[in-house]
Amino acid sequence: MKMLCRSGRGVRKLSEYLLEMKGIMKSFNDNPVLKNVDFDVKPGEVHALMGENGAGKSTLIKILTGIYPKDGGEIFFDGQSVEINNKNDASKLGISCIYQELSLIPTLTVTQNIMLGKEKRIGGFLNKGKMRKEVVELINRYGFHLNPDANVESLTIGQRQTVEILKALSEQSRLIIMDEPTASLSSKESDALFEIIGNLRNNGVSVIYISHRLEEVYRLADRLTVLRDGVREAVLEKDEIVPAEVVRLMIGKELKHSSQSNEFRVSDQPVSLEVKNLTRKGVFHDISFQAHRGEILGFAGLVGAGRTEIVRCIYGADPYDSGQIFFEGKEIKPSIPANIERGFGLVPEDRRGQGFTPLLSIERNVALTNYDTLARNGVVNAGAERRLGNEMVEKLSIRPFDSQIPVGNLSGGNQQKAVVAKWLSRDMKVMIIDEPTAGIDIGAKDEIYRILEDFASRGTTVLLVSSDIQEIMKVSHRILVVTKGAIFKEFSNGRITEEDLMMAEFGIDEEEAEKNG
Amino acid sequence: MDESPSPVPVITEVALIMKLRQESMRRLISIILLAVMMLIFSLTNSAFFTVSNLLKVLREASLSGIIAVGVTFVIITAGIDLSTGAIVGFCGMVCANLLYYYNLPWQEIFLISIAVGTACGILNGFIVTKLRVPEFIATLSTQYLYRSMVFVFAIRENNVITNKKIESYPVLILGGSINGFYLVSMAFILFAVIGQILLKSTRFGTYVYATGANRKSAELSGINVDWVRWRVFIITGFLCGIAALFQMGRIGSVTTDMGTGLEFDVIAAVVVGGCAFSGGRGDVFGSVIGAIFMAVLQNGILKYNFPTAVQLIMKGVVIVIMVIFDSIYNQYVQKKIQQAVQNEDAVQIRKGGAEVV
Repeated sequence: MKMLCRSGRGVRKLSEYLLEMKGIMKSFNDNPVLKNVDFDVKPGEVHALMGENGAGKSTLIKILTGIYPKDGGEIFFDGQSVEINNKNDASKLGISCIYQELSLIPTLTVTQNIMLGKEKRIGGFLNKGKMRKEVVELINRYGFHLNPDANVESLTIGQRQTVEILKALSEQSRLIIMDEPTASLSSKESDALFEIIGNLRNNGVSVIYISHRLEEVYRLADRLTVLRDGVREAVLEKDEIVPAEVVRLMIGKELKHSSQSNEFRVSDQPVSLEVKNLTRKGVFHDISFQAHRGEILGFAGLVGAGRTEIVRCIYGADPYDSGQIFFEGKEIKPSIPANIERGFGLVPEDRRGQGFTPLLSIERNVALTNYDTLARNGVVNAGAERRLGNEMVEKLSIRPFDSQIPVGNLSGGNQQKAVVAKWLSRDMKVMIIDEPTAGIDIGAKDEIYRILEDFASRGTTVLLVSSDIQEIMKVSHRILVVTKGAIFKEFSNGRITEEDLMMAEFGIDEEEAEKNG
Repeated sequence: MDESPSPVPVITEVALIMKLRQESMRRLISIILLAVMMLIFSLTNSAFFTVSNLLKVLREASLSGIIAVGVTFVIITAGIDLSTGAIVGFCGMVCANLLYYYNLPWQEIFLISIAVGTACGILNGFIVTKLRVPEFIATLSTQYLYRSMVFVFAIRENNVITNKKIESYPVLILGGSINGFYLVSMAFILFAVIGQILLKSTRFGTYVYATGANRKSAELSGINVDWVRWRVFIITGFLCGIAALFQMGRIGSVTTDMGTGLEFDVIAAVVVGGCAFSGGRGDVFGSVIGAIFMAVLQNGILKYNFPTAVQLIMKGVVIVIMVIFDSIYNQYVQKKIQQAVQNEDAVQIRKGGAEVV
């Protein structure tokens, strides 16, 4: 009654939706990322949000949780028009987000974490009994299994996620956003999470579920929204969710045969690197392949499929549990210094964190991997260091043309070139390069591709990890598709389409699918 | 529970560790180590395990122990306080000065010592939280500042610094004992109990852990992290003022080097007691064990008439061993948990001890 008495624009008829986002627009530097996107969630439903990298999923979520301001459009929550300008606005409405990097206090108990910032007290002292009782009630209401007195650091990742969800529920959340929640969970833990999501739905809590794993979406989602290039491509009801169809929507039908790959073939050069049954428990298993001299071997797959972990093991940066690695016919035990001696190099995925030393100049960064030749008796040959730096700056056209500039001050593309330059002057046998063009402009991308071709033409084996489908199709000579820690498919002859690759990345075997109807 | 898959609960090693909680396990181990060390000293030296010697050991532990209660809070917030020894010297010298020149009554002396210590703590906290200077640098600089104040207040005769005996009887009483049980030890126990309650049973205590273990997350939970960090310095300064009174009572005079190096004894006690420099871990109880541990070690090795160099080496080695032990132990526990996840047969882990519910 109160609602009806209020006059003005606030009165709307009760909506069937908990959340409605209408005509959301967002651009970064005149580059539109969301173009008039509509998105809605019903109360008590699990709504999956899917799309390729860069389709606009995370931007949409960041607008919803108040991290980015929107350029246009309207958001309705519970039928009321709302403004969400920061995280607090979102949590006041009852919207919370479970992030991949968890935000709990490891040394406090489950109860302390859930009640953090809203402790119950008697006088000056904590009312531990009451807080525990509230948490136990919460745990029981949603049918979770969790010891309220356990220290968070003694919990598994899956259990920690449960605590995060409970924390959100204790703040009266009605809409919980989960971004790739199963990325670091074991299959059993994932099952437990799905059970929890089911309980949330039964208790009327809505969930926005973002995942690349089609079978999870297929299993969980009540509805599914597909975004592509900043546009809502489709909204599917539960019975319309068919994995192959979802992938086609994500790629876009008209692209089906337009974009083709290289002519793939197995190189006739001698085998340089061979991996047999390489396994790291819980990360990847039974990885076997051969890489030839002068070959660019692409590792395609979704983020979290295990590609980075595989190449890091080969480089010697991480240990593995079983399997063998052969280099030029001889078995090797990878260790980073020995591998560098053999002619291995790694351009890591986390460029800023692992690729270079931001405060040092370009020439110093380049010199770091070359001190075996630049500083023969421990004394650095400053002239040679300078010459090498200048040579690299010129060769790779690292701008501005000055090898004295700290690498941290360069643009992303030029930083990446400086990282590559660390290896370029050496006689490289195996070059491992992980997401080389993430966050780099198109011009610099082409230069990086040219450098990779250059490596290959000089007989170097290049292992290229990339999530960019067009890039990996264009640059690789052969592609291995990694899904869930195993090699799912190899593309080694003829041309393929984006759709072929995408289907494989999602673990859909098209030939089988066609056979079965 | 209705759908419990295994009626017979299997208590694995991990489950056991999780039951006891990492913290309690660590505490148990340090108590055992202390007991073993005391046993060795008792067996090899008849003068060690006597009531009067043990009370003396407790007295030795008490001065650094009182301050360690405060520094425990600081280190749990992932901070450090290097100025505690200088604060003790500063408080002591101010009191000695006022007693000598103005002959103030003991009540005022007590209040002034505590006020000076607290003020030093306030300044430390201000520099750290408001001026955004890292704890290490901030308290290193204030250490010089407070030590210089000792010389400002030093008593001079003909422009030469001289030590004067303290005549105030109530101050001297603080150095004494009741039936051999030293007053400083009583104060130590009292403040340790208060500190432990503050840490474990108040909202502030929880915030101290949260601030040290994950500052970002603590901020997002609405905690005023800077105010927490400020308050731990104030607590430490306050306790330094208390400790200065007992030290004056014990020595009977104040020299310019009073408290020099004390900060390292304090930090050693806290670290040996299980607080992690990375923050979020440890408690006052552990620091008490740590302080006693260091005092027992000191007292025990003294009885063998080792050269000073050997004594210092032994102290250093013990600190390193304890810290290495801590990191190995933490790694071990984490590894156990991860193994359990990988094996995936640990139903009791996933069910997370639902029996308590």
